[in-house]
Amino acid sequence: MANLQHIRRRIKSVKNIQKITNAMDMIARSRFNAAREALLSNLPYVAKTKEIMRRVMTQMRGQEYEHPFVKTRAELIAEQEQGAGKFLFIVIASDKGLAGSFSSNVFKEAHDTIEYDGTGESSSLDDDGDDENFHKKNFDALKGIKPATRRTPKQQRQMSATGGMARAASHQGGGGTSSGSVEVAREYHDADYIDGIELITVGRRATTHFKQRGYNIIKSYHGISERPDYKYAKEIADLIIDRFDSGEIIDVTLIYTQFKSAISCSPDNVTLLPIVTDDYAKVGANLKEEYIYEPDVVKILNDFLPRRIATRIYGAMLHSAASELSSRMNAMSNATDNAQELVGRLNLFYNKVRQAGITNEINEIVGGANALE
Amino acid sequence: MATILLEVATPDKGEVFSKEINMLITRSICGELGILPKHARLLTELLPHAMRIKADGGETQLFVSGGFMEVTPDKITILADAAENPDDIDVERAKAAYNRAEERLAKKDSEIDIDRAEAALARAKARLLVKGVHMG
Repeated sequence: MANLQHIRRRIKSVKNIQKITNAMDMIARSRFNAAREALLSNLPYVAKTKEIMRRVMTQMRGQEYEHPFVKTRAELIAEQEQGAGKFLFIVIASDKGLAGSFSSNVFKEAHDTIEYDGTGESSSLDDDGDDENFHKKNFDALKGIKPATRRTPKQQRQMSATGGMARAASHQGGGGTSSGSVEVAREYHDADYIDGIELITVGRRATTHFKQRGYNIIKSYHGISERPDYKYAKEIADLIIDRFDSGEIIDVTLIYTQFKSAISCSPDNVTLLPIVTDDYAKVGANLKEEYIYEPDVVKILNDFLPRRIATRIYGAMLHSAASELSSRMNAMSNATDNAQELVGRLNLFYNKVRQAGITNEINEIVGGANALE
Repeated sequence: MATILLEVATPDKGEVFSKEINMLITRSICGELGILPKHARLLTELLPHAMRIKADGGETQLFVSGGFMEVTPDKITILADAAENPDDIDVERAKAAYNRAEERLAKKDSEIDIDRAEAALARAKARLLVKGVHMG
């Protein structure tokens, strides 16, 4: 029979956990308000930058302006025929856990994007018509001439890269529903992709996740996931522009969580570099009038494009911060509710056990009295 | 009188100005520009300065600390790093920033980012100019 003291102790510990989750919920809530505020004030600026970008790019299509960031897809292919540049991914996740599936959703999107090889159910045509989301199209264009970036799997290396996850999966003891482990097994067969890839990570969790799997992380940022600073976005932008200029990387894709509302956010990826003018074709194709650039187009683009990239990264960081905090808020308030329910159930159980004990004692007394008669 | 929509946005304050105006007088890296409705398409970079906005028969000022300006026939979009009403400019802070930037430039240390210090100096100077404060 269950021990009364045991149950009492359990109730107490559940209540203590509830106090902690409740406190974390409130902390996340107040930080979330600040993060949402920051995001909302940034949105108009980003939207306007995007608008201008669209108009300029639509207009630049078919013109003879030369700018290293701006290419047509044909140029991209021609240039890479002998080049050996790598793909670079920027992954923005959180520093801390306890935010539900926030980080793992980002990682899933990251792996999906990184592992994209032009086959499988997702194809470049699935992309939601967003003219800034063309990593897959770029890759499709390049895959014919760059087989080296995606090697055939090597059994041994695959083992070492998935070793960590295999252990984690077996640790679950196969007890839980197997769908989770199957997912894991599918996702992390990524050793064959690592060679052609560089990563920049924001958030401690992203760093640990990808380091464990042997990815080449060229820079990581910790401690800024909840409160992004433009300074770091600028730093990342400068770094990728530098590497892109030197030809070390040929494609930069940013993976982050887009904040939609306090209860909904979803991972998203956008291509930062190169800016492929083909994709700006559909929007405002009838724009005939030319811009006057003062002093000249090269100077303006030299200043505008890096700023556009930094703005983009900063915006993504703000989105990610708001998403992280809202996920944590939801996770913690769920945990608090669950703890409440658990306490209720344990109380009921406690009372039952206590009642059973009393009944038992009465029975014994009655039995003893009867025996005496 | 014909009007043109002026929108000013900054990264941390969102849309700080959005109104139909009659004329905008602004300073780009190529010099002073007056923008009237139905202006040709134009993309340029702005210097830190106080823009003059003519609307409803009056004239107001708005300080921008650099950024980009896109002009289309019916709309002016300004992406500023920061934008303030002249009344909101903190003179003491601008003075402090001015002195700090001058100090940095005077040191000529290789570790100091000259471009950044010069930009800071220009911003502080422009802010002070709006308030009618002249520094040596």
